Amino acid sequence: MSAVVDAVQVLVFPGLSFILSYTLFVEWLSRKTVARLQNRVGPLHTGWQGILQPLADFIKLMVKEDITPAAAQARVFNLVPVVVFAIPLAAAFLIPIQSLTGLYSYDPVASFEGDLAVVLFLLTLNALAVFLGGWCSGNLFGAVGATRVAFMMLAYETPLTLVAFSPAILAGSLSIKKIVDWEVAGFQGFLAQPSLHGLLVGLVLLVGLAIYTVCLLAELELRPFDMSEAETEIVHGWQVEYSGVKLALLNSGHYVKMVLAAGLMTSLFLGGPSGPVLPPLFWFLAKTSFCVVVMSNLSALFARFRIDQLVSGAWRYLVTLAILQVMAVLALKGVV
Amino acid sequence: MSERQFVIPIGPQHPALKEPESFYFTVDGEVVVDVEPHIGYNHRGIEKAMESRTYIQNLYLVERICGICSNAHQTAYVGSVEAVGGIEVPERAQYIRVFMQELERLHSHLLWLGVAAHEIGFDTLFYYVWRDRELVMDLLEEVSGNRVNYAMATIGGVRRDLNPDNFPRWRKAISKVQERTEYYIKVASTEPTILERAVGVGYLGKGDMERLSGVGPNARCSGVPCDIRKINPYLVYDKLDFEHIVVDNGDVFGQVLVRALEVLESCKILQQVMDEIPEGEIRTKFNPLGRIPEGEAVYLVEAQRGELIHYTISNGRNMPYRHKVRSPTLGNIPSLVERLKGSYIADIPIILAGIDPCFSCTDRMLFYDEGKDRSWVWTEEDLRKYRREWFKE
Repeated sequence: MSAVVDAVQVLVFPGLSFILSYTLFVEWLSRKTVARLQNRVGPLHTGWQGILQPLADFIKLMVKEDITPAAAQARVFNLVPVVVFAIPLAAAFLIPIQSLTGLYSYDPVASFEGDLAVVLFLLTLNALAVFLGGWCSGNLFGAVGATRVAFMMLAYETPLTLVAFSPAILAGSLSIKKIVDWEVAGFQGFLAQPSLHGLLVGLVLLVGLAIYTVCLLAELELRPFDMSEAETEIVHGWQVEYSGVKLALLNSGHYVKMVLAAGLMTSLFLGGPSGPVLPPLFWFLAKTSFCVVVMSNLSALFARFRIDQLVSGAWRYLVTLAILQVMAVLALKGVV
Repeated sequence: MSERQFVIPIGPQHPALKEPESFYFTVDGEVVVDVEPHIGYNHRGIEKAMESRTYIQNLYLVERICGICSNAHQTAYVGSVEAVGGIEVPERAQYIRVFMQELERLHSHLLWLGVAAHEIGFDTLFYYVWRDRELVMDLLEEVSGNRVNYAMATIGGVRRDLNPDNFPRWRKAISKVQERTEYYIKVASTEPTILERAVGVGYLGKGDMERLSGVGPNARCSGVPCDIRKINPYLVYDKLDFEHIVVDNGDVFGQVLVRALEVLESCKILQQVMDEIPEGEIRTKFNPLGRIPEGEAVYLVEAQRGELIHYTISNGRNMPYRHKVRSPTLGNIPSLVERLKGSYIADIPIILAGIDPCFSCTDRMLFYDEGKDRSWVWTEEDLRKYRREWFKE
């Protein structure tokens, strides 16, 4: 029986099928938000308010011609889209959403001590795959985009990892599930008996959330940090040679990554999928959608930075802030 | 070239260039060391074609040199032909020509502002500006019947009159544009990401700009006063009250500023034209097959992109013997090259877009021998000789 439940969890809910459908929804939500902010209407014709447009785009790309340039290193070039699609999908299994066994339990599909480190490692691996894809595409713009991806990784990786570990330090565990448990317990404790210490922890985590959001914009190559695919400068950078099925996978991979990022943001800073009355599934959807709207909103507000501005800015401000935040976390932990 | 340097070709097809043109950038890491512009991908032989069409037919051909500054080209063309032929233009027609010119400047500058925002990756501003630009496009359509290629000017006057009944509505639309532009100036001068990407980017000082003889907003942003409407007034610009916009920022931000402030001035001019336009005829008669007496004339117009020169030679027939166009983009290319040197690769699109290039206006043909580094232009005699030899068999 439990084997069946496991299989359903991996393949249907909250695994593969659920995450992929939610990815399509997130793509629509993000596109629609940006469009409304930009004085446009966004997709309209497929389904209610164009909600099926991402699916239509995916199918359309699947039937387009699939090209491997003669100058590309074919094996790596063809493998990268699969990897870029699969990595965030695999990491998403570690995010607590909703368990099948209990209405109010939110055990992720897989959970173990140290899965937070694994998720962060997979995100880095993803960036490396992107770099390889651009580098092996045999295109000058692809190569420039690839080096920019690598530079961006240098910029955002350190502060991202630092702030992602700060709730883990407070919770005393590297398991995402246990961090969520700690957050829920801590928040309920705070509501029952407000204390200065609890308030400080909340504030420090809020700073962490802000740093984390900025890093995620870079991680997801959203504006103002989309210099790795800057359309007007390097013609979509590392993606330039991809077409057909491979581009479909890359696009979906991007939004799976967005789901993962929003899920991680929810789990680490916003109390995970827990909330009053309604089951975790609802709160997961509500909170991650909120994160997606916030990220889309931010990406519509700014002009693109230059790569040198990102790297120097990240090391000057983000890393400093992240270190200060971690020091504050350690101080608070010492008080405990 | 040292070992660290390599050449990046940008164009003839590149998203930063809306028209085919090619630039070879020698870069050292992310910094541009040298630029080699290659113009001439968009040559259409319009000047030659004009020699076999009557003066009236040429009105419509000359408009099609450029879609965005079509009215400026037409104004300059009719100006030069009228100067050769000694044709008087009624004052009302002159006011209407000014009205069209300023409307066109509005739409072109707003278009540029949107494109510039797009080049630095600020698509939100791009969509907003272009939406407001529609107000101007609607006005243009209402006045002339067309959104592009307005076909308003004709030799001896203009083809359509302005209807004073519409003035209140037009005034409202223009003040709306003015209000929005003021808002965009505020946004552009306070939004940190725009400032990061615009201030100090592609700097060129006044001395260099004078040496490289740039024209239009490109030169005025470096502190060179060169607005033809002020320094060599044509039509009725000397009767209108507007500022000569010159700033000394010298960078991309200065270019944004000059154009935005000019939009405000254009709004002022449009309101004045509606106030002061005199009653009367809108054109003097000109026979469509009429001849223009022998002579030659140069006419200067301040197009949106800068000084536009049209030069006509007539040999007494009903077609021009030679018509020469010097468009502003050509005058701006030397200073563009200087602006690009020392900038980052990421800044290339915005600096390129900064001069508001229009390569279809610019491209000319000449013969060039790469081995001997010699260039020459064929005269009419050479062309005849070539034709005789080509058709001999």
